[in-house]
Amino acid sequence: MIASLLFAAFALVAPAQADEASAETCLKTKIWEGYNSGWAVRTATNATLGQGEHRIYLVTLYAGTEYKIMVCGDDTAVNADIVLYDSLGNEVGRDSTKDREPVLLYKSGATDTFYIAVHATQTKDGTAKAGLATAVTYK
Amino acid sequence: MLSSLLFVALSNLSACTEAPPPPPPKPVEPAGPPKLDVAALAAAAENIALVPSPAEMQKALERAGIATGLSGLVADRPLKMDIENKDVIAVRTGVAMADALLTVKDAPPDKLTARLTLVKTGMTALGGGADIGATIDDINARITNNSVSREDLVKELDEIHGAIIPEIKFEAGERAVPLIQAGSWLEGSNLVSGAIVAANNETAGTELLRQPQVADYFLKYVAVEGAGKAPDAVLAQLQTTLTRLKEISSKPTLTLDDVKEIKSQTDAVLALL
Repeated sequence: MIASLLFAAFALVAPAQADEASAETCLKTKIWEGYNSGWAVRTATNATLGQGEHRIYLVTLYAGTEYKIMVCGDDTAVNADIVLYDSLGNEVGRDSTKDREPVLLYKSGATDTFYIAVHATQTKDGTAKAGLATAVTYK
Repeated sequence: MLSSLLFVALSNLSACTEAPPPPPPKPVEPAGPPKLDVAALAAAAENIALVPSPAEMQKALERAGIATGLSGLVADRPLKMDIENKDVIAVRTGVAMADALLTVKDAPPDKLTARLTLVKTGMTALGGGADIGATIDDINARITNNSVSREDLVKELDEIHGAIIPEIKFEAGERAVPLIQAGSWLEGSNLVSGAIVAANNETAGTELLRQPQVADYFLKYVAVEGAGKAPDAVLAQLQTTLTRLKEISSKPTLTLDDVKEIKSQTDAVLALL
């Protein structure tokens, strides 16, 4: 029931993007798997981005809390990236993989606001748009 | 003659050994994401992940060693949803959602289902669609039948709060989601500040309540629109409270007196609900 509602909620946002559904399914699976190891979800959202495009999310992070930022790209995504900036624009973390399911772990020393940048760094043939689902989880 | 033959032979040899056409160039792999400056970040930032959930506040409080949980501090609030003002319904729905989230592990079934029913009533009044109501009915049935573990309920309510509600297109308009979040955040901040004051902890306020961007985000939605329109008492107090919370939490360090003021400011709004 809850799963179908989650799908319905996502569908309200982007009804015509069949490829976004796979990104959402991937992310949802990771969120639910994460609960088994103590991770809970702050927010999950999605976006459709062309190669080289990005989406920025402002986020409040608590001092001492572990955060895991996860992205799932659909089949069109070749390489997605996550970059985390502090409130002054200093880069404080980025994922190190070249795939469509990047993960970034971060623990802040102080409670503050940060910027999460989610990049569609590479898509298939460079022109297709990719569905990217993003979640901020914590424990 | 001989030279002509030699030329023809060499020409043929050349034709036989001609190199195959070069392979198509490999697609250039794009460089990694560029560095973005703070102005670009601020201009493009979306607020969907800005607000900590009440459950996250509770975990942060536990980590700071202040309290083992907030559930015992949650009061029974007779939140009325049968009113005209949709903004106030949204704030009340957020408070009810926070109360359900914070007590999901140990509240008696009747209290938990009552809180969730309030959430459902609020969602319905805001035009959140039939799915969310059906989901809450399903959860309530499983709580009543004792056919769901409280651990699983934590996950389900967490997901409703963090992933489902922010994506719902409410008939009440775009203000509904941030005002629901504002209600949840306000209730969480009230309980956290109360726990810090009760523990007489001088340092925890800076770690747990310094969130000026969150107060600022909510203020944009709470500001009453329309010249000459009399503000609702709840929204007027909410605006006053958020303005003060923004001022307090903009300080680099929060004292215990600051935390006490956060408690009294949030009390003032919650008392009107």
